[in-house]
Amino acid sequence: MPFDRELLKGSIALLILKLLSERDMYGYEIIQESLRRSQEAFEFKEGTLYPALHQLHKRGYLRSEWRTGENGKQRKYYGLTAAGRKAARASEKEWVFFTKMVNAMLSKANP
Amino acid sequence: MGFFHENGERHALEGQPVTRLDRIVSRVVLLAKLPGNKLRSEIAKELRAHLEDLAEEARSYGYDEDASARMVKRRFGEPQEIASAFASVYAPERLAKRLAQAALLVITSTIAVVIVIGTVQSIAAICTATSILSTFRDIYWELFGFGAITAGYCSLYAGERLFPTSLARAVLPSVTVGLWLSALFLWLIPQHAALPLAAFTCAALGRLLQRVEIPLVWFAGTALPLLIAWALFGRLISGWQFPWLVWLGLTICCKVLREVVQFLERFVFSESFA
Repeated sequence: MPFDRELLKGSIALLILKLLSERDMYGYEIIQESLRRSQEAFEFKEGTLYPALHQLHKRGYLRSEWRTGENGKQRKYYGLTAAGRKAARASEKEWVFFTKMVNAMLSKANP
Repeated sequence: MGFFHENGERHALEGQPVTRLDRIVSRVVLLAKLPGNKLRSEIAKELRAHLEDLAEEARSYGYDEDASARMVKRRFGEPQEIASAFASVYAPERLAKRLAQAALLVITSTIAVVIVIGTVQSIAAICTATSILSTFRDIYWELFGFGAITAGYCSLYAGERLFPTSLARAVLPSVTVGLWLSALFLWLIPQHAALPLAAFTCAALGRLLQRVEIPLVWFAGTALPLLIAWALFGRLISGWQFPWLVWLGLTICCKVLREVVQFLERFVFSESFA
């Protein structure tokens, strides 16, 4: 189902923090993982993903390091810092509350 | 990787053959105006690794070279869009760096002006067999002049950097600074405002005429405002016997400030202007 991409842009920090709370990933892997989990509904554009990763890194929520993969290619892996874990939990709580309220509004509007 | 290679060209940064991937990455990095070479190469490396992953994915679908390139471009998005997003992420750092550079330019220029004017006055004192200390008895008023010369030259330089394609716009910072300085000097030193304001105009006009290809034409830039001020207000500094020395001092200042600017551009600011 098509949706306004601004909705995805607005929640990109939460989605990144959530994905990285499970394991360290690099940019391409984050895109692939979000595609897989959302059944190809969420496709992060590079223009959104990489600046968002750098913004979260600047805020101290992410750490990063270059690692060499099995195929010899170097990739920049991102992982959560302690502040990032805290922010991830807070953002998730906020999102759950927000969606609950939106759903409540929608259900009353359409009884 | 032969996948995106084009013949005969070389990549400027890493010595690798220029690829379409490199072009996309270079465009993003260039347009993003990232502060610092380290950050630029870090982001370039990261985006390049990403593009290589995309290209590998395209190959796994069995696409030919052109189809793969199209797919990579489509999936990656517009370089301008990515660059603009990166630019806003690093906007505070860029601004801080610009301000630090501006402060360095102003401090270095002021020191250069003080040294030049001080040297000219000392030489004049020696040549006229007067006490060097006595030539600095108006130092308080001269300090305003030192600041005004720096402000005149640096404001025009700032205008050139901000509006490199429009001369009319390039002089706007100088005009604005000049108006503020006029108000400030007329308030603080109403009896002695003429010389620093003339010096400000001399320095700005000197910088402006340094752009002219004809050698030494900027000498006129430093002379004209001084002559006008001299005609209007007479002797500008009490006890100053040699007005041409004022012109000489200002002219040497303009020359030295030009060298200062060129030095900073080459060795300090080069990273930002890359």
